[in-house]
Amino acid sequence: MSLETKAWVAAEQKLGRKAARLPVVWGLAQISAGIGQIYCAAHLLALVLLPALRSSTAIFLYVAGFSIFVLLRALCLDQTESRSFELGAAARRRLRSDMFSRLLAVGPNGLHGRHSAELAAVAVDRVEAMEGFHARWIPATSLAVLGPGLIGIVALVVDWRSGLILLVAGLLVPVAMAVAGIGAGVAARRQFVAMTRLQVRFLDRIRGISTIVLAGRTADEAAALGRAADELRSRTMRVLRVAFLSSTALDLAAAAALVLVVIRFAPHLESNLILAQKALFLLLLVPEFFAPLRAFAAVYQDRMAAEAVGEDLATLPAMPAPIAPVEIRNIAAHGVTLAFEDVSFGWGSARGPVLEHLSFRVPAGETMLLTGTSGAGKSTIIDLILGFITPESGKVTFNGIELTTVIPAARERMIAWIGQKPMIFGGTIGENIRFARPEATDEALAQAVKLARLSDVIAELPRGLDTPIGEAGFGLSGGQAQRIAIARAFLKDAPLLLLDEPTAHLDPAIERDVLESLKRLAIGRTVVLASHAALALEFAHDTGARRLDLDAIRHAKFRGVA
Amino acid sequence: MIPVMKILRLWQAHYWHLALGALLALAALAAGIALMQNAGLYTATAVLGGVLLVPVALQMAGVARVVLRYLERLVSHDAMFRALGRVRVWFFTGLANSAAGGLGLRRAGDALARLVNDVEALDGLYLRIIVPGLAALMLLPVLLVVLSRENGWALLVIFPFAVIALVLPWQAAALAGDNAKRVSLAMAGLRNAALDTLSGLREVKIFAAEGRMLALVQARESALLAAQRELAQRVSRLNIIGFITVQAGILLVLLLGFMSGPVASAVALFVAVAAFEAVSAMPRAGVLLGQSRVAAARVVEAAEAGPTVPDPAAPPPPLTGYAVSFEHVGFRYAHDLPFVFENLSLQLPAGSRTAILGPSGAGKSTIAGLLLKLAAPQSGKIKLGTVDIAALPAEAVRSKIAYLSQTTHLFADTIRNNLLLGDPSADEARLWAALESAQLAGVVRALPNGLDEWLGEGGNTLSGGQGRRLALARTLLSQAPILLLDEPCAGLDAATEAAFFETLNHAVAGRTLVLIAHRLTGVEKLDRIWRLAGGSLVAAAG
Repeated sequence: MSLETKAWVAAEQKLGRKAARLPVVWGLAQISAGIGQIYCAAHLLALVLLPALRSSTAIFLYVAGFSIFVLLRALCLDQTESRSFELGAAARRRLRSDMFSRLLAVGPNGLHGRHSAELAAVAVDRVEAMEGFHARWIPATSLAVLGPGLIGIVALVVDWRSGLILLVAGLLVPVAMAVAGIGAGVAARRQFVAMTRLQVRFLDRIRGISTIVLAGRTADEAAALGRAADELRSRTMRVLRVAFLSSTALDLAAAAALVLVVIRFAPHLESNLILAQKALFLLLLVPEFFAPLRAFAAVYQDRMAAEAVGEDLATLPAMPAPIAPVEIRNIAAHGVTLAFEDVSFGWGSARGPVLEHLSFRVPAGETMLLTGTSGAGKSTIIDLILGFITPESGKVTFNGIELTTVIPAARERMIAWIGQKPMIFGGTIGENIRFARPEATDEALAQAVKLARLSDVIAELPRGLDTPIGEAGFGLSGGQAQRIAIARAFLKDAPLLLLDEPTAHLDPAIERDVLESLKRLAIGRTVVLASHAALALEFAHDTGARRLDLDAIRHAKFRGVA
Repeated sequence: MIPVMKILRLWQAHYWHLALGALLALAALAAGIALMQNAGLYTATAVLGGVLLVPVALQMAGVARVVLRYLERLVSHDAMFRALGRVRVWFFTGLANSAAGGLGLRRAGDALARLVNDVEALDGLYLRIIVPGLAALMLLPVLLVVLSRENGWALLVIFPFAVIALVLPWQAAALAGDNAKRVSLAMAGLRNAALDTLSGLREVKIFAAEGRMLALVQARESALLAAQRELAQRVSRLNIIGFITVQAGILLVLLLGFMSGPVASAVALFVAVAAFEAVSAMPRAGVLLGQSRVAAARVVEAAEAGPTVPDPAAPPPPLTGYAVSFEHVGFRYAHDLPFVFENLSLQLPAGSRTAILGPSGAGKSTIAGLLLKLAAPQSGKIKLGTVDIAALPAEAVRSKIAYLSQTTHLFADTIRNNLLLGDPSADEARLWAALESAQLAGVVRALPNGLDEWLGEGGNTLSGGQGRRLALARTLLSQAPILLLDEPCAGLDAATEAAFFETLNHAVAGRTLVLIAHRLTGVEKLDRIWRLAGGSLVAAAG
């Protein structure tokens, strides 16, 4: 376990402890009611054994007491369960909200190259696995100390010798585990680790199953999987042989406590009602004394699961620092002049600098074509303008104001962007276009659809704008998906338009068509077009754009294409 | 119940281990009951002034309890490990033989991961459902005997026992089964929202949709929690009913004591307490059973789906050559879907180098799927040499084709084992030759463990381009005469892609090469270039 993970688990534990106070109180109340119930049962049984001392009043009282305590216990059990569920639910809500807030704040470049599907699995499944930690493990840890403690004290008060037997037996459980050199719950840990390893291998082989099938290696891999499971079994069992001794310590303590309490009382009991009551009470208390310890051992795997989750969650990016209010500026919402002033940027020392002292200026309403081979820095420039990354030195300015001093919401209002493959969200085609501006009127939506030349496409769909699309744009061609992106940009109507290889994934026939639409979109806006397609040069020609060739010149030099 | 029975039948080879584990569990439970019984017996005898012997039986029961519990844990865990290994091998083989083998043509990692979760859900079947269930069944006669000694009426205690050990678990299983569908639906909703948010992070930021997406995720999460809360509340109610029922049973035993022999009554009480404690978790086992049943149904369905293209019954004719021809092939994925192509013809002479281009969705990958027998055409023929591949078993066709696509998986294993998948008989020299051809030998040589370097999950010890090269090396290692490459570089940047194809130009001398792509980088050396559009192939400028 890494240091980060350790700190993360500790922090979660602290938060969990705080939240779990109420369920723990209900758990203790349940144990207290249990003591009362056993008290009544023991007195009833004593009366059964010594008929001479019976009175119907006493019987009635103990039966009534027994029943009331049972109902109280039932109430406490119900409360403990529902509150534990809410503990787990609140923790999951908090973790997910925290995770998404962070990822949404840092943006696409903060994911450190982790695949979005993998992160989604973390947000859904890994966080789900934290339920047990908060709902069960944390309350169980408190109760494993408080429960036996409470019962032990009661036993001490009733009969100090028996109380001592119980407390010593209870304390011996962790001591025996430690002496055996195993530490609490090591069995659970080993088993968990072993299972996880098998799980990972199995999942990996299942994910790659088509590769195996098409390579004709099914039988070999199946045999290898069987061998791995078998090897794992024998290795794990060797460890478990020792590790189960810790559970055996608990069994031994429980059995020994019971036998010792019997032996302590047996010689003195004859026809002694008071002592018989005490003896029966303490005997029936023995299983109750060990119940919280057993419950604790049973949920130890939830703690293991939390460590595995921690490995994933502890390394998520931190929340970026908010922009200090004094620095917030206003920028006119129409007409953006974009400028880079001596900007340098690199993706870490290993990969070397991407941009070195780059300066250029795109006046409001004009278009700039960015060309260069892959890796020359086209996408880096776009990401710098989007604010997803910040320059190492120099500044990016909008109308002369440095971008890093603009609050993200204001910056986002000014920019529209179209990339290689637009993201199509689950929902209808109308909702997907409205994604750009949810409050847009139907007229504005219809206008955007028309301008993006989507009208014909939508007319052919069975339910028009209400046709569901999604799951990576199922049912839409690349050209149609790109038109949705264009419609979004029209609907957003931002003064600065960034186009990052917008036709890279399109058929040449469709490419020209899409470029026509983009040309219309570009009118009256400041545009940066990154592309290496031949057609883009034509586009730049038609819009009278300037060109920045990142290959030919590392430093800013402008050349008119026209 | 049928799918669960199927899983149980899989365990056949391990029945002895499983039975021994269960028997030891029963014995340990019996020892526990005996321990409490003797505790009650000694105490009651002492109270009544009976003759006290050294409590040998008590001590023996205590020792037996501890020892048997230890043995039970060992044997039952060993049996469980055996059983779950067996289930995994069966599932893997079944999935490989069934339609899911064709999942490679789509990105289906998520669906597969969910199936793997279902397989894992079955791990608790033995230890947490079957063993406790058997224990409950065994306790029944024990209770009958001990209680009837107290008083005939004490047999009434069977009712609360039956409620907690049988009725409530059964109800819990039904509740959990119904709820499992609701939960998995809500879970899918949450998963989609999470995936949409994170895959579309760029769009989300640019359109200032952070708040909206967060709200969506939270709404989906609330739906999931509501579904789970519903089950938790219902099960909690069952647990409360169970608890009160059990305590009523104990009170009944106590009260009957006033009408019967004192010692027998004390013993009955202690045994009842121990017995009820042993079955108190049965409603929880019921919940697990309900969930396992749903999981088992999905697992069995996936594993027994059977191949989409069954192998021919007749013995395959001998192969005459490796030229591939598509002759008037018509295909659609389902009767209610449009044709991908209605009359497609294509010649791929042995040793030729052909590219098939076209926009996504035009059916390029379908051509690969048909050739690999992952699907069968509705009309027309696909021939390998002069033999219709419909007359050949899938294995025979696939062994002649080395297939490489963007979904080609790199396994969490050593580089060596990843390569050997292409040809298990390859020696060290051939492994290096393949790496050399794929221009990866230098990289591998520089790794601390060379060929034995362990690749992380999904192969992330290597960069994207290196990963593709490793997959290429594996493909080259296979001695299949046809190389079928389906967008092998999708997702990589253009420079890496171009370098990959430069490599390919020199690496596949003599074999038939079919390259499927949405566009060319310009460095590929090809004999023919076809463009697939509107269901037919058009020659494109080479």
